[in-house]
Amino acid sequence: MKSEVARELEKLGQKNKKLFFLTGDLGYNAFESLQQILKERFINAGVAEANMVDVACGMAKMGLNPWVYSIAPFLILKTAEQIRNNICHPNLTVKLVGNGGGYGYGILGESHHMLEDIAILSSFPNIKIYVPAFSEDVKSIIEKMGKAKSPSYLRLNNVPKTTIKLNSYKPLRQILRGNKITAVVLGTLVHNVLDAARKYKKSGIIDLWSITEIPIVNYLPIINSVKKTKKLIIIEEHVKDGGIGEKILSKLELEKIRLEKIIHLSAKGYVKDRYGCHLFMLKQNTLDTNGIYRNFKKLYAL
Amino acid sequence: MYKNLYRRLITLLYDSGSIHIGSCLSCFDILIETLLFQMKKEDRFILSKGHAAPALYVLLNHLKRLPDSDLKNYLKDNTKLTGHPAPNCFDDILGFHSGSLGHGLSISCGIAEAMKYNARLKKQRKVPRIFCLISDGECNEGQVWEAAQYAAKRNLENLILMVDKNNIQAFDKIVNVLGDPTKKDRWKVFGFNVIESDGHDRKKIKAAFKKCLVFKNKRPKVIIFNTVKGYGISFMENKIEWHYNQLNKEQYKKALEEIEENEI
Repeated sequence: MKSEVARELEKLGQKNKKLFFLTGDLGYNAFESLQQILKERFINAGVAEANMVDVACGMAKMGLNPWVYSIAPFLILKTAEQIRNNICHPNLTVKLVGNGGGYGYGILGESHHMLEDIAILSSFPNIKIYVPAFSEDVKSIIEKMGKAKSPSYLRLNNVPKTTIKLNSYKPLRQILRGNKITAVVLGTLVHNVLDAARKYKKSGIIDLWSITEIPIVNYLPIINSVKKTKKLIIIEEHVKDGGIGEKILSKLELEKIRLEKIIHLSAKGYVKDRYGCHLFMLKQNTLDTNGIYRNFKKLYAL
Repeated sequence: MYKNLYRRLITLLYDSGSIHIGSCLSCFDILIETLLFQMKKEDRFILSKGHAAPALYVLLNHLKRLPDSDLKNYLKDNTKLTGHPAPNCFDDILGFHSGSLGHGLSISCGIAEAMKYNARLKKQRKVPRIFCLISDGECNEGQVWEAAQYAAKRNLENLILMVDKNNIQAFDKIVNVLGDPTKKDRWKVFGFNVIESDGHDRKKIKAAFKKCLVFKNKRPKVIIFNTVKGYGISFMENKIEWHYNQLNKEQYKKALEEIEENEI
């Protein structure tokens, strides 16, 4: 998704002369053209993320529009205090872009994985989190982030080529229509869920919803869907605590909606203490196509 | 006027039951010179050693940027004024939390960067300045040195960093903790123009700021001010406990007497 981000920021940066891009020494083979276009507005702030985020705060305070890029855990975990105190509390227009949300960096190891960012950031005030599901989402999301006068975080992950005809972008978007299982999925895992749904060899089973923005502003489509199916599966590449699953389930509890069965598939960390590529990590966590299909069948077997 | 400001600071500290008194007194003369005499309208200031907030509040009140009613509520419930500055008060002078040490220099770098860029956009020759006050203990923070590298590499010549070197941090003397992080050479190696000065003699403080104008290179400036924790009050000077103690009535009276007698 990095290249889509670069393309959109190139366009935005040409129109908006106050746009600055700060990178923590990352973006090789992706941001060179952005660097040429932005010139002095492209800053390699070095491997010094805490400073980089606070520099962006100072810039935003003075009316500039800084975008800050790094690998997600370096951008969010090293700088949680900077983000909370100096971006979120004063409600400054700083955009954070983190690559490798979830297990995206695979075999590079735990230090590069980001499984807790949504839990941390959604507990801070004023910040909006964007988790694109399709590469086509990046354009709409960058446009939205560019217009917003508040903090935002873009969580990028590896994305395969889109195999379906997409409706226009929405924070909560229906991907498949069905009446047996409601599936709510965060970000790029939607591709695995689509493949799992295809394994039924029959359409109309999975009512599939893709979430790309947190906080979830409108739960109504999910509520209406589960009222119909009575069965819910939530799938996210994030730890259970503080992810979208907890948010959706607490909303359903509040609305006193009782379901027949609920499954929550999430990142469990490193259960067997073994590492591998992105797909391997997803398999370990039952977040791959087969794992998702196995769970579908627990809810509805043909 | 200085005596009057000192009196008002001590009275605020006493009335509110404030701690961090020694830290307010070590930087008060620097703050007076910076806020009252050095800063132009477009300039900005960041108090990175946020625990000296009462010293700043008194001066903002003196400058009529903070109403008496707000100052009266300092440290009371339902106040705008906390022990360390909160982000959404006095938008143009603070605008950030500064209770957690190490952030101020980085934020100042961003402000300096923006001032330079905005001036270029508006084709203004004169670039505003950002003044940032940190403490010597604060220099333990790694982020200070991340920011120092950044400021020098990015040629932030409109950044004036001031170090309140009172030689005492929260639990011991600076030299006993991680060594003295304010040595002139260290800042030079990091690419700063370095000035060292007494931090209480007002003529010397003024002269230090004047020296900043002499440098014609693009480097940021740091003024290391040698100060005394608890300056001006004999029973507080160089005493670590005055990082924590509150004034009782007797001590308050004695402090006021000393201010009258001393060359402040």
